[in-house]
Amino acid sequence: MVAMKFIPHLLSWLGIVLVLLRGFPGRRTVVTVAGSAGFAAGLGGAFVFISSTPGDFLFSIIRDLVGGGLLLLWGVSVAAIYRSGVRDFPLSWGERLLSTPLYAGTAALVAGIPAGAICACRLSGTEGNAPAFLLLVLVAVALVFAALAAEKLLPPSVTMSQAGLMAAVVALLIFSSSAILRLDLFSPLTMKVMKFTHDFVHQFFESMLIPDHLFIRDYLWGYIGFLFGKEVGFWGGLFIWFTPVVIVALAVSFERLPSVAHIRRGAERRKIMAAAIRARRIRLVIPVLAAVILAAAVYKSRFPSVEYWDPKPVPVSADPTGEILIPKKGDISLEDGKLHKYLFKQGGREARFFILTTPAGNLTVDLDACAICKPDGYGQAEGTVICYYCKTLIPLETVGKPGGCNPVPIPFTEKADGVHIDGITLINNWGNTVQATTRIKEGGK
Amino acid sequence: MKRLLSAVWGILSSRALSPLVIGFFLLLYIGIAFVTDDTLTALMEITRTNIFLTVMLALLPLFSAGRIVEETGRYLKRRRALAGDAAAVPAGLFDETVALSSTCRSLTELQGRLDAVGYKTRLTANALTAWRGGSGFPARMLFLAGTFCLFAGIFISLSTRTSFRGTVIEGEPFPAPSGNGGIVERIILGKASGLFLSKSLDMEVAGPRPGGITEKFGLYPPSRYKGAYVYPRYLGVGLYLRFSAPDLPAGYEDHAILSIYPAGKEASEEIPGTPYRLMLSLAKPDDGSDPYTGRMVFLFKLLKGKEVVLTGKAPTGGEFSQGGYRLSFPDSRRLVITDFIQDSGVLLIWTSVILFIAAGCIWLPVRVLFPRREMLFMLEPDEIRAWSRAEGRRGMHAGVFHEALDTLEATRTAIT
Repeated sequence: MVAMKFIPHLLSWLGIVLVLLRGFPGRRTVVTVAGSAGFAAGLGGAFVFISSTPGDFLFSIIRDLVGGGLLLLWGVSVAAIYRSGVRDFPLSWGERLLSTPLYAGTAALVAGIPAGAICACRLSGTEGNAPAFLLLVLVAVALVFAALAAEKLLPPSVTMSQAGLMAAVVALLIFSSSAILRLDLFSPLTMKVMKFTHDFVHQFFESMLIPDHLFIRDYLWGYIGFLFGKEVGFWGGLFIWFTPVVIVALAVSFERLPSVAHIRRGAERRKIMAAAIRARRIRLVIPVLAAVILAAAVYKSRFPSVEYWDPKPVPVSADPTGEILIPKKGDISLEDGKLHKYLFKQGGREARFFILTTPAGNLTVDLDACAICKPDGYGQAEGTVICYYCKTLIPLETVGKPGGCNPVPIPFTEKADGVHIDGITLINNWGNTVQATTRIKEGGK
Repeated sequence: MKRLLSAVWGILSSRALSPLVIGFFLLLYIGIAFVTDDTLTALMEITRTNIFLTVMLALLPLFSAGRIVEETGRYLKRRRALAGDAAAVPAGLFDETVALSSTCRSLTELQGRLDAVGYKTRLTANALTAWRGGSGFPARMLFLAGTFCLFAGIFISLSTRTSFRGTVIEGEPFPAPSGNGGIVERIILGKASGLFLSKSLDMEVAGPRPGGITEKFGLYPPSRYKGAYVYPRYLGVGLYLRFSAPDLPAGYEDHAILSIYPAGKEASEEIPGTPYRLMLSLAKPDDGSDPYTGRMVFLFKLLKGKEVVLTGKAPTGGEFSQGGYRLSFPDSRRLVITDFIQDSGVLLIWTSVILFIAAGCIWLPVRVLFPRREMLFMLEPDEIRAWSRAEGRRGMHAGVFHEALDTLEATRTAIT
C-alpha cells in the first residue's frame, strides 16, 4: 500500500528521463549519469533535511522550486514564440550552448534533484528510514535503465523543441508534486490570483478615479463582483497553469517553414514542405502531452485522495458571566492534536470555532474562518489544515498566527479545568470577519 | 560614435526588451508576494521610491516609441521598394528573397498571370509589383501607440501622482490642496439614468467672489479644480450633537464627522474624558427613499464602557431624553470625503484603452478577411531578383510566388 503512493512520483521520473533522453539525442550517457546523480542527491538531501528539521520548511522550498520551474517555462515559452515569428532571431550562441554535453548534463541534474526531493517528501510521511531511501534510489536507477530501453523503441521521427522538452519536464515535476498535499501548487496559485485580481481591480478603480460601488449600477457591480470570487482564482489559475504549454505549442505551429523559393521543381518543393509540416506536427505531441499531464495535476489538486478530519461542531454555551468553558479532557481530548469544532449561539447570532493542539504542544483557539475567504471552514489532513473555500493548506505549526488565509485566532485563557473564551469577543470577531469577507466576496472594495 | 549610436538604437528598438522588462517586474511581483499579502501596492510603492525601478519602468514607453520609429521606417522602405523607386531593397524587409539567373527582359506575361489570380499589379521599366489585401500596419501602429500611452501613463501616474484628502461639507469652504475655495452651497445626491452609474452627486460650490459663477463637481468623468481631479470617495454626515448624562450634568457638545452612508452603516463617536461612546447610523425612511436626500433621522446607541445604556432615534433638530440622559442633534450637514488628485497619467491610460480597442477592431477583420500579401520582381542585367512577404494566408501566397518564379524560369528555358 505504501509502495502504491510512490507510483505517481516514479512514473514522473520515468517520463522525465525518457523525455531528456529523446530531447538530447547522442547524450545518453551524460543524461543517464547526471539524472541518476541528481535524483539520488535530491532524495538524500531532502531525506537528511526532513530528518533533522521537522516542520514545513522543506516542503515550501520544494514547492517554490517547482513553482520557479513553471515561471521559467513561462519565460522560455515567450522567448520561443518570439523566435518562431522571426526567421533570423539572434540566438546562435544559445543554440551552440544547447548542443553541448555540459548543458545536457546540467539539465538532467537540475531535473533529477527536485524529482528526488519530491519522492523524499513522500518518504517522510510514511517509512522515513534508510533502507527505504536506498530502495528508492535503486528503483529510480532501474527506471533510468527502463527509460533507456524504452527510448530506443520510440520512432526516430519523434523529436521535440527545447521549449517542448522543458514543458514536459516541468509538467511531470508538477504532476509528481501534486500527489503530495503539502507540495500542491495549483491551490495556492488560485489564491494568489484571487488576491491579485482583487488588488488590481481596486488599484484600477483608484488610479482611474472610478466612483465607489455605492454609485455603480447593481448589474455592473455584479459583473465586477465576479472578479472577486473564487471562480476567477480558478480560471485565472488555469490560465497561468496552461498558457506556457499552449504558447510552446503555438510556437511550434508558427515555426517558419523552410524557404523553398529557390527550388524550381514543384514536386521537390512540395516534398520538402510536406516533410517540414509533418515534423512540425510531431513536435506538437510533447506540448500536448505536457498539457494533459498538467490537467491531471489540476485534477489531483481539486480532488485530492485525502480524507479531511472535519468533525461536526459541538454546541457550547456561555455561563452567566459570558464565559465559555471547554474542558481539556472528557469526551473530547483537546490535546490529541486533532481539530475540534464548536458552535456558540447567543441572541440570534452564532460563531463557529475550533480548538487544536499544534505539533509544538500549544493550544490554539481560532474561528472556523479566515479574514479573506467566505467562512466555509477548515478540515485537517497530513500536517496541515485546509481552507475549504480556497483550498489553501495551512501548516499546523502556523495555526494560531494571524494573517493570510490562516484561521483567525481568538484570545483565550488556559486553566487547569480547560480553555476559557469570552463569548462576546468570539461573537464579535466572527461577526466582523464574516461581514468583511462577505463584503469582499460580493464585490466590495 | 556611429557604431555606439547604432547599438543604442538597436537596443531601443528591440522587440525583445519590452517583454524582458515586463518579465522583470513580474518576477519582482512574485518575489514580493513571498513577503507581503499586499503585493501590488508594495510593488507600486517600491517602484515609486526606487530610482532604478522607476528608470526600468520609464524604459517601457521608450521601447514602444523606438518600435514605432523602427517599424514606420521599415514600412516606408518597403513601400518605396514596392513602388519600384528603391535602387536596392534592404535585407530583412521581406520574408523570402530569391535570385534567378535569367536573360528575360519582360515581366508582362507574369503581370497577366498575377492579375488573373487576384493580385493588383504595377509594372515599371524594370520592376513588377503585385499585392493584395490590406496592410496590418495601421493596426500595429495603433497598438504600439496604445502601448506607449499605457506605459507612459503608468510611469507618469506612479512617479508624479499626488493626492490630498479633504472633506467637502455643506456651508463650509471647499477644501483643496492649494487652499480653500468658495463656499459649498449644496451637496445633491440623486438618481442617475446612465448605463454605468446608479446615482449622481453634485457638489455646488459658489465662486470665490460674491456673485461669481457656481461650479459643479460630479462623479464621472471627474471634474478638475485648480489642476487636480476631484474624486468623491465616501458620503457622510457632519452632525452637531449635544449630550448630557446623570453623571455628566455639564454636558458635552461638538461637531462629529460621521461616515454613515448608506443607511445601517455605523460610526462611533467617543465622548472625550468620559466612559461614554455613541454609535450612530442613518435610519432608512419608511417610504423607501434615500436617507441622504430628505430630512435625516439618526439611530443611536449610547454605551457606557461595554454596557448599552440608551438606544433610540432622533431627526436633525430633534432631541431624545430618558432616565436622565439627554441627546439632541441641533444641526446636520451632508459631506463628501473627497480626494484631490493631481495625475497627468490618467488621460494617457484612458487613451491607451481607446487605441487598443481601435487596433483590435482594425486588425482582426484585416488579418482574417484580407491580409496583406506582396511580391516584387526586379529585372537586373543578368538576373531577376524576387521578394515575397505575407501577413496571412502564407501558404497560398507562397504557392503563387513559387509558380511565378517557375513561370520566369520557364521563360528562360524557352529562350535558351
